[in-house]
Amino acid sequence: MKRLFLPVLASTALTSLPALAATKAEVLDTYANIAEAAYGDSLATARALQGAVDALIADPSAETLDAARAAWVAARVPYQQTEAFRFGNAIVDDWEGKVNAWPLDEGLIDYVDPSYGGATDENAYAGLNVIANPAFTLSGESIDATEITPELLESTLHEADEIEANVATGYHAIEFLLWGQDLNGTDPGAGNRPWTDYASGDACTNGNCDRRAAYLEAATDLLVSDLEWMTAQWGEAGAGRTTLLSDHDAGIKAILTGMGSLSYGELAGERMKLGLMLNDPEEEHDCFSDNTHMSHYYDGLGIRNVYLGEYERVGGGVVSGPSLSDLVSDIDSTVDTELRESLDNTMTELGLLRTAAETGLSYDMMLARGNARGEAIVMAAVNALVAQTRSIERAVTTLDLDEIGFEGSDSLDNPDAVFQ
Amino acid sequence: MRLAPVFALAAMIPAAALAGPAEVVEAHILPGTAAFSQATDALAKSAGADCRAVALRAPWNAAFDAWLGIGHLAFGPIEADGRALGIAFWPDTRGLVQKTVAALIANQDPAANDPEEFAQVSVAGRGLFAMERLLYDPALADYAEDDYRCGLVRAIATDLARTGAGIDTEWREDHAQRLQTAGAPGNDTYLSADEATQTLYTALLTGLEFTADQRLGRPMGSAERPRPNRAEARRSGRSLRNVTLSLTALQELAQTLSDAPTPRTDAAFAEALAAAERPDPVFADVTTVQGRLRVEALQQRVRAISDAVQQEIGPALGVRAGFNSADGD
Repeated sequence: MKRLFLPVLASTALTSLPALAATKAEVLDTYANIAEAAYGDSLATARALQGAVDALIADPSAETLDAARAAWVAARVPYQQTEAFRFGNAIVDDWEGKVNAWPLDEGLIDYVDPSYGGATDENAYAGLNVIANPAFTLSGESIDATEITPELLESTLHEADEIEANVATGYHAIEFLLWGQDLNGTDPGAGNRPWTDYASGDACTNGNCDRRAAYLEAATDLLVSDLEWMTAQWGEAGAGRTTLLSDHDAGIKAILTGMGSLSYGELAGERMKLGLMLNDPEEEHDCFSDNTHMSHYYDGLGIRNVYLGEYERVGGGVVSGPSLSDLVSDIDSTVDTELRESLDNTMTELGLLRTAAETGLSYDMMLARGNARGEAIVMAAVNALVAQTRSIERAVTTLDLDEIGFEGSDSLDNPDAVFQ
Repeated sequence: MRLAPVFALAAMIPAAALAGPAEVVEAHILPGTAAFSQATDALAKSAGADCRAVALRAPWNAAFDAWLGIGHLAFGPIEADGRALGIAFWPDTRGLVQKTVAALIANQDPAANDPEEFAQVSVAGRGLFAMERLLYDPALADYAEDDYRCGLVRAIATDLARTGAGIDTEWREDHAQRLQTAGAPGNDTYLSADEATQTLYTALLTGLEFTADQRLGRPMGSAERPRPNRAEARRSGRSLRNVTLSLTALQELAQTLSDAPTPRTDAAFAEALAAAERPDPVFADVTTVQGRLRVEALQQRVRAISDAVQQEIGPALGVRAGFNSADGD
């Protein structure tokens, strides 16, 4: 479990400013409303995906496979905007691995190209292929996988052998089952799984079409039930909302922690810069579908949403209210202006990245060794996210969220423990 | 609250005036970047003279030692252009160093003949860890002058020297001034003196976290599933040495950064460095109860340093840590 540094924030400094107390509660209310709406939209679009998957399984064809892929892409739009809630709220961070874990050793799930290899030093089950194997041994235990159920995926296969790359559930497992491996490397093209991988009888390609369909259905059902749970956590009596509102200072801290951690360590670092420096197309977030540009774009938008207190719903309409921006602006409008400009600049750069990907330079092509234009596009977005992080830190300072507590440290309760 | 033991104390901080970002730059950062530049330059010269593994292990180790003196300064020149990744790509959770080095050799990749082209190669095929494979992996290390691997080793060494020189130059000619003139008009990196202090303070805590969570945490794995093969630089036998040298560098940073006596922090460093004398050099015995306990004890001591720093140095400097690159997954 990572210990975040940002939780080292104030309690007394903020409560000594009664004039802002009401505003803070309103800001948190807006934030929780956005969470409820964005998880609600994620749930609705996941249900639409579930319907499309049912149609694919009932009547496999190129058309029904395309429709399921389109539903998956649409489902990513609201979900990625919820990622801004992840790092500040333990209830989200503890749950997130079930729905958006990445990267994955997809050979755990289904057939892969010979170039993939099999088991590795890191992961003995990288080539397990559950779809082709109704019985196998996992960490010394015999597993009966005759029936592929949500329970099997969630409790037995996911993170099997304590390996994070054993991703059996969530968006990226479903993505793999809809697209298959992207074998084009850093050349044009996404995964190209044939619809006949879901066909019945002799038309079935690559074997075990019924088990593949069962896996896809189980994973999609699980995604829906996981999102139902999370949406409920942000309702009137949900634990996400009540925890947030129970301590206004910790709540404001949660918003900023989520913004900064996603901007810097996660998106700019882990998901963008690292993949670029490795020239590795498997390091792209949505590597099967080549939808990575959209995932990055909506991550960025989600960060801006929670600062501006504004979320545009999937079906139209806007959820908005008093914002963190208002709170910062009341104290120092220069800092607020700088942060809003930083967020806008990031969206400009992520927009350019998105446009480039949509007009022929897909994200994995940008990662190719020596692709100077691709590198410049990705790095411009990385640099904008890094600059944005500095602006977020200035907002933290402006809100006087300084010192006082040492959350996550043994030493707060028992200072001498440190020196034993 | 207990007084810190006498042995670790005041003498280390000569005077209040000699502390803070200016002192960190002069006494910690610039000597460190110069040492890394010199060590990588020496490595490149050695490789030019004799590329064989037996000839390069000593200068490679010296370069790695020097890297541990500055690897925690993950901002400014070392962060720019992904230099830190190009020098030390670790942890390597997907085994990419092995794959990338193997592919370079199998393809006789001509990038090894051209420094500019080689600078574009995946970080998994460059830097200290790619070179460790070539110098220590028994399947790779037995090569002669006319082998592709000889040219590859030279290319990696040259690339490291280029990066080392770039870091040193940028620190000396640009970033040192930025830190030292934090808050002055025209300084668009550090808008206040506190921002410079905060950056260094964040680097200190991030470095401690990296050693506890990654250098020690990765080989520890879980009690049921220890992972000795995940120890950093285990092929060259450096895993524990990296912990010790990193702690030593972080101790220097803490002492130069703080402008007040830091008895608790000093004591915590002393205890951690003492605990670092006990584990196996590559944590190979984390699979045993006793071996695991020794590494776990060290990890707890390193975490205790973070606690001491947060209690003692942060409040005294009036800053709290900013975001760090390890936030997130």
